[in-house]
Amino acid sequence: MTYEEFVDARLGALLRYAVMLTGDPHQAQDLVQETMVRVQLHWRRVARADAPERYVRRMLTNQFVDWRRGSWARRVLLRGEPDEAVPAPADHAQSAVDRDQVWSWLSRLPRRQRAALVLRYYEDLSDAEIADVLGCAVGTVRSSISRALATLRAEHVEVCS
Amino acid sequence: MIEDELRAAFARYEALTPSTGPVRAAIDRAVARRRRRRRRVRLAGTALAVAAVALVGFTVVAPRPPRPTPLATAAPSPVPGTGLNVLLLGLDQADASRRADSIVLVHVPADRSRLYLVSIPRDLLVPMPDGGTGKLSATFALGAGSGDLAAGYRATRQAVTRLTGAQVDAGAVLTYQATRTLTDAVGGVPVCLPAAVRSVHTDRRFPAGCQRLDGAQAVDLLRQRYGLREAVLDRERNALRYAAGLLRQIREQGITSDPVRLGRLVGQVGPALTTDTGDLSLPALLSVAVRAGTADPVALGLPVRYQEWTTRGFEPDPTLVDGFLDALRGDRLADWTAAHPAQVVGLR
Repeated sequence: MTYEEFVDARLGALLRYAVMLTGDPHQAQDLVQETMVRVQLHWRRVARADAPERYVRRMLTNQFVDWRRGSWARRVLLRGEPDEAVPAPADHAQSAVDRDQVWSWLSRLPRRQRAALVLRYYEDLSDAEIADVLGCAVGTVRSSISRALATLRAEHVEVCS
Repeated sequence: MIEDELRAAFARYEALTPSTGPVRAAIDRAVARRRRRRRRVRLAGTALAVAAVALVGFTVVAPRPPRPTPLATAAPSPVPGTGLNVLLLGLDQADASRRADSIVLVHVPADRSRLYLVSIPRDLLVPMPDGGTGKLSATFALGAGSGDLAAGYRATRQAVTRLTGAQVDAGAVLTYQATRTLTDAVGGVPVCLPAAVRSVHTDRRFPAGCQRLDGAQAVDLLRQRYGLREAVLDRERNALRYAAGLLRQIREQGITSDPVRLGRLVGQVGPALTTDTGDLSLPALLSVAVRAGTADPVALGLPVRYQEWTTRGFEPDPTLVDGFLDALRGDRLADWTAAHPAQVVGLR
């Protein structure tokens, strides 16, 4: 497979995945761009991997999890809490607030836990596949997901009760 | 169920996904930019690589063996009748504020008869860029900030130029990593120590006398100063002994006269180095290096004395330093070292 073929086939999916990780189209674009620049510069090594797609997804996920000092992380801080300043239209205010709340709870999870949730509930990967992408043990994946869900449930109860 | 809400939220946010066209174009632009930058760095590196391998053995980036044509056609010297000075900085391990722990000025005399390796103590007190007085090693960290090695090099070069009044024509910055790779690539470096050294880092023992060091051993030795009779000054002398041994090894292996081996060596050491070739061209540096590298080098330290009453550090020894610097600038180091044999560091 050439780099061009890979981009034709996979760039859209990677962008969608990055949107779910970051929760923001601009950050998603930065994340994908940064990863794909490295993919293109080192294409021979990427193409040698058993499954290039999985290899790139792992690169992108690592970049997301580790990227603390880059410009990207700084921008996260500057943006502050998502959506608070924008009042939802009055007629379905409550449902809009509920929805956005799921999203802002997600943004407060540790990045690894968030990545695990995205891989499970958006990409529908198995525990073993998620472990491969995150580079950790299957047991760690299970505990990350259950811990993340517990956090979200707690938030949910707090707001809804 | 929270799982269902998650799935629903993800599905809703799919609409936010940017379209692939502009992203793809941005990726290609960024790749082109990075490739250009890489090429520039490599070209600059090639020239010094070749010179430095022959000069002191500290080396640089080159993707291919140097082309043989300049060798055949080059004039023996770019500016006949002038000496050259090459500044080599060895960095310590620290990540955040890196200091130049060994500072060696390589002087190539106009007659290209041999190399003079002049060690400048890292604890020498010099005027700092910010107006105060500080150690020479700290100028690098001030210039480099959070990791710009080229800026650090420029700051230290400026301090060395101001101190010596000698022009610095080219230079390189090297790390432990580069030293290790280079040592292994040439098949180990012979070093002769006047006294035994024990590593406080690894507990390795280096006996007095001559021995051959591999990369890890060489770096270990170059880090030791505790327990040495004159601590940091003796460490700097060991760095000179290492540099001379490396030079000898390169010469005895015939690496400088074999473009294929030279190219391979330079490629191996490559990426760890930052270099500055100044106004000199590749053939100029190369021809200088090959000629001057055939004789044993002379190693010496800038004459200093310990100055304790203000800051702990060294200051130039007023009885010797003026004569020494005059000789350096006037290209008369041969006479000066003959008149001051006690200042010369024993290499064998």
